[in-house]
Amino acid sequence: MDVNACIADAVSSGRDTLDEGNGKKVLGSFGIKVPQSLLVPGPDAAGDAFSQLQAPLVAKIVSPDIIHKSDIGGVKVGLDSAESLEQALREIETAAKPHTDNIGGYLVEEMAPKGHEVVVGGSTDQTFGPIVMFGLGGIFVEVLADVAFRICPITTLDAQEMIDELKTVKLLRGARGGIVASEDAIVDTLMKVGGEEGMMLALEGKVTEIDINPLIVSESEAVAVDARFVLNKD
Amino acid sequence: MSGNRRIAASETGLLDRFRPLFEPRTYAVVGASTSKVTLGNEMLHHLRSMDFDGAVYPIHPKADEVEGLRAYPSLGETPEPIDFAYIVVAASQVPETLAAAKGRVKYALVVSSGFGEREESRGLQEELLRAANEAGVRVVGPNCLGTYCPAGRVTFIAGSAKDSGPVGVISQSGGLGVDIIRRGSIRGIRFSRLITVGNSADLGASDILEFYAADPETKVIGMYAEGINDGRRFFQILRDLNGAKPVVLMKGGRTEQGQRAAASHTGSLASDERVWLALAEQTGLVLVDTLEEFLDTLLAFQYLTPRTDHPTRDVVMFGNGGGTSVLATDFFARTGLEVPRFADETVRRLEEMNFPPGTSIDNPIDAPGGTMRVDDGRVAGRIVDAVYASGTPDAFVMHINLPVFQVSYDQGADYTGHLVESALEAQHRASGHTHFALVLRSDGSIEVEERKIADRRNAQALGVPVFDELPNVAGALAALRHYERFLQKHP
Repeated sequence: MDVNACIADAVSSGRDTLDEGNGKKVLGSFGIKVPQSLLVPGPDAAGDAFSQLQAPLVAKIVSPDIIHKSDIGGVKVGLDSAESLEQALREIETAAKPHTDNIGGYLVEEMAPKGHEVVVGGSTDQTFGPIVMFGLGGIFVEVLADVAFRICPITTLDAQEMIDELKTVKLLRGARGGIVASEDAIVDTLMKVGGEEGMMLALEGKVTEIDINPLIVSESEAVAVDARFVLNKD
Repeated sequence: MSGNRRIAASETGLLDRFRPLFEPRTYAVVGASTSKVTLGNEMLHHLRSMDFDGAVYPIHPKADEVEGLRAYPSLGETPEPIDFAYIVVAASQVPETLAAAKGRVKYALVVSSGFGEREESRGLQEELLRAANEAGVRVVGPNCLGTYCPAGRVTFIAGSAKDSGPVGVISQSGGLGVDIIRRGSIRGIRFSRLITVGNSADLGASDILEFYAADPETKVIGMYAEGINDGRRFFQILRDLNGAKPVVLMKGGRTEQGQRAAASHTGSLASDERVWLALAEQTGLVLVDTLEEFLDTLLAFQYLTPRTDHPTRDVVMFGNGGGTSVLATDFFARTGLEVPRFADETVRRLEEMNFPPGTSIDNPIDAPGGTMRVDDGRVAGRIVDAVYASGTPDAFVMHINLPVFQVSYDQGADYTGHLVESALEAQHRASGHTHFALVLRSDGSIEVEERKIADRRNAQALGVPVFDELPNVAGALAALRHYERFLQKHP
């Protein structure tokens, strides 16, 4: 599906964000790797979906009313049979009901490989326009605000310097026995968000903010597990 | 500088276009009075005191003569076209003053305020722009003070230095522009040009930055800005400059959170402060917070030649004041610099000099007054020689606590004079590229301050930057390091 049409469609239906499925389609069209997934209409379609994907799977609620999906029990992970997938979708449905009467289905995805959770984002600065951000996920972003920003368009040197700038970079490089994250894959993702041909500049005026959170970075690749696009409604 | 930092020939058009703004041959003053002293009269006086040798045309609606010069009724009626018009009339009269120029005025600097600073006066600023546009005039200001260019023999404050230097400044604030010229000159900073841009209704900071970037007379750029209205262009100019000249920015309002209602993590974390720091990383720009830091940094860039192969880190410190150098060592470390221990050979060389007891012969070299007086103060040269004989530090900082010598019973010799002189001789003998800086510490008393001014002038004449305290030099060297690191990464 065409990225611009997808955004225009969301805006014309009064939305100020893209839902996860459409967000990932946009990421995919810019060459950012996303997990194989299917949009499943309801628990009854679980068996069919399971046969088309590589287990273990993740299931997530799709609803414009629910932003922090895991907070309300809208995400189930480690699903390794058709039965467990169906059961998970029913549980999500029950958990979501109090929060919305607008369930657009369920996003069923293959699990991302093991790796570091990082955040790549974009935002619009009032002086410089599109900017790009990088940080380690979870508490590192939310509590410690250990993040690096650059003004778009960035160069690959800028992207590498963003990684170097983090106080927590040692974790990405395998401190405490962890995985050594592929910095090439991070640089590549940063370029696809903030580079000359990246999303922030290509979608300027249409998208004001992007959060790819988390981006899972293994030794060899980076996969966007969740994405949030804030649209410009003007 | 490497090939991609050379100035392109196509930029000569830019140079020709801006030269009349800073080096006008015909200068009109609108707003000088026949009965009292206005800023216009002051300007006529400044031009005389700078020995301005172009034509000066006072513009006056009625008088035939102002301050002994033949006056003309409007900008359109001078004997020849005007390069630069200085305008100090009431805001409401500015549009018609400009309209009268009819294509005969290249630049008009509008001092008058009461335009875009407040919502209700925005209309008048638009009227000004329309009039300027129709008359073919480029406008500086309104709400600014003037231009200073020693080569063009123009200034807007009394007592400006007449000798040129490498530092070009753009100040959004007129008052800070005055401070920068006055305090900077005393510190030894010499200017190629300085302009106050005020409201930047027409010409703005980015236009002048682009000119300074190409201007062969300007080798160091300083800026004071509160807001940049064309951030994307500003960023692109700095990117294209690629560190060919250091740019020092004193940015007002950096800590203010923008009024954006962020809906994402990224948006909520993107403070102004972080974005300006990003700009500094991406372009080599040096950000400073205070006027003192701004001047210290410009001073360092004027006097010291950046080194790309080894960005400044290791500093040797030598002087009197044990506690002072311990505190300074900590401060240097906080700014990313180091005061590392000497190699054994250096220690041995210093040991052989048999200093009086109480002298620390490791880095920082702490030499009490008695040690500083050895050879009537010429000991400093031998210490500098000893340090350079066994290594090339990135920077050598010598500090002298002046009252120890100035207010002492022992006036047997000109100790501070000899200390500075012999150290600088040794510095000139050295073959490596070590930045040398001098700190002259004063207690603020008249007798010491006088001595400091004289010593500072001598050191400046010998090409050495002089700082007030050790933390000041640490800040300046850290700025130099930031710029040198940028050059190293962007060959």
